[in-house]
Amino acid sequence: MTDPHLLVSGIIFGLSMGSIFFLMAIGLSLCFGLMRVISLDQLLYYAVGAYITYSISLATGNLWLGVLGGVAVGALAGFAAERLIYLRIYERDITFSMITSFGVLIGGVGIIKFVWGLVPRPVPMPIASQLDIFGTEVPVYRLVVVAIALLVYVGIWLFLNRTIIGKAIRAGIEDVEHVEGLGINVYRLFSLTFIIAGGLSGLAGGLHAPLIMVDPQMGLEVLAFAFMIVIIGGLGSIKGTLVSAFLVGQVVSLGSLVYAPLAQMAPFAIMLLILLIKPTGLYGSLLLKR
Amino acid sequence: MNVVRWWWGLVLAFGLLALMRFFLPLPFANEVMIFAIYVMGCNFLLGQVGFISFGQPAYLAVGAYAAAFYLYYVGSNAYVGILLGIVAGIVVSLVIGPLFVKLRSDYFALVNLALAVIIFYLMQKVLAEVTHGDNGLWFLTNLAATPVLDLSRPDQFFIFSFLVAFALWALYKYLDDSIFGACCLAAKINEDKLTFLGYSNFNIRLAAFVIANTTTALAGAMYAVYLGFVSPEITSPARAADPVVVTILGGVGTLYGPIVGSVVYTGMKDLISKAVGNWELVIGFVLVVIMLGGEKGIWGSLQPRLQQVFARAGIFGRTGGDS
Repeated sequence: MTDPHLLVSGIIFGLSMGSIFFLMAIGLSLCFGLMRVISLDQLLYYAVGAYITYSISLATGNLWLGVLGGVAVGALAGFAAERLIYLRIYERDITFSMITSFGVLIGGVGIIKFVWGLVPRPVPMPIASQLDIFGTEVPVYRLVVVAIALLVYVGIWLFLNRTIIGKAIRAGIEDVEHVEGLGINVYRLFSLTFIIAGGLSGLAGGLHAPLIMVDPQMGLEVLAFAFMIVIIGGLGSIKGTLVSAFLVGQVVSLGSLVYAPLAQMAPFAIMLLILLIKPTGLYGSLLLKR
Repeated sequence: MNVVRWWWGLVLAFGLLALMRFFLPLPFANEVMIFAIYVMGCNFLLGQVGFISFGQPAYLAVGAYAAAFYLYYVGSNAYVGILLGIVAGIVVSLVIGPLFVKLRSDYFALVNLALAVIIFYLMQKVLAEVTHGDNGLWFLTNLAATPVLDLSRPDQFFIFSFLVAFALWALYKYLDDSIFGACCLAAKINEDKLTFLGYSNFNIRLAAFVIANTTTALAGAMYAVYLGFVSPEITSPARAADPVVVTILGGVGTLYGPIVGSVVYTGMKDLISKAVGNWELVIGFVLVVIMLGGEKGIWGSLQPRLQQVFARAGIFGRTGGDS
């Protein structure tokens, strides 16, 4: 088949892509699962996270500080959007939130253009060293990204399964009314979920920044991918999001080794196929159908 | 049904549009007309059938490329190109429709988005030899003068697009009044009851899907003829929500919403990008405000007031629930 060196670096590339996709899509998935809103503005926090990372790492020379800043700003922005906008539309139809959040996304892109300008910005790679895997040089930074994504997954899993707030959130995903009946303030849970989701989207943007050029349209460019991952995995399922993110990452990366133009299209073809066979996605439960 | 009552609103709206031609620059008027046709399909899907689609550019591209292929490689008659665009729209939506209309509304939106992305890459990369990739197909000089209305001249093209839009409006108004329109609305509100009444949910939705997307393909073919140029940019994912935005801006499911929406949207886009150069900010803000303000859109909020005014003036007595 193809050159083994290419294959190894392709797989690593796919894994790191998948990690970014996972962090990006988890917010969408959480928000849908708990609040039944489709929060397209997560992609705005992704772009904002990348820009904050760019600015801070330019000022201090340290990317990790920038990423932290991105997470903080993403979480703040998510919280603000929840208080100002989503609070008013929880009761409405799901397509309603989709359109509103699209408005937020577009407006935010406008703000980004206003603040940082139109020109794409490069962010320097923090770890330049390479690691040797089966005789192939692999950039360490990509491995770090994968490790962070896995850590986040474990963290979220622990949070949702081992803490009382996490359990309340999970119960809320199943049935909001019953959780309210237990005397838990669901709206506080909603805010918390938005903060987590916004922070993770910011993290995705911050980590992605050194791998690409940061530009105002970056949120819109990955919009289709983020959506697709959530849909393939099943709306509201964390595990499904992880699996489908890595799946899509590999398809994009390995597909480009086979035939470059196909790589961008193949994931969408897979999504069409999966939806037509199993309309709720890989791990989406029927319970979520409302 | 009272014939005058059926037609007066339509004639009034299009009278205003014809007036617009004399006060506003021609490219703007042309763009508004084509865009209005584009949005009409989306409006019908969203308002009458309850399908929100983020993939309308896919069907736009189908029509545009069908016309472009003909005009670039085969012939020079713009009418034939537009006709081919319509045919392509019907064929494509008949092929994919049966798969798509079974899905729930939110999944439907995303699957359509996926289709738009697929077509985008298909045109940009995979079929690059035929479509010339990002450079697009230029065939403005290929266009021959057509009889009756010369579509290669913008001023006559406006008359043509005006007539097409008028015909489509009449069609959609007729559909709204017909049993089919009622069934579509029923499919949106309560599909179980529709099935109970003995109608096939699937057939109704498929028909609506085909009608709406053929309208969009027609708009695509008209874009191709008007600009004399087609590139993959027409189906770019970043523009996928344009028709949805305009539909909501104008007022979902209202008959005059698309035209009000596209006049305002095209106008805003022109003015704001000239003045500020940052129209995303404004359009996003406007969208959020409209959604929070109650989803009715510009026409949806204006209409009851206009009716009140007319009723008071006695021009047009009790309109009741008739829109």
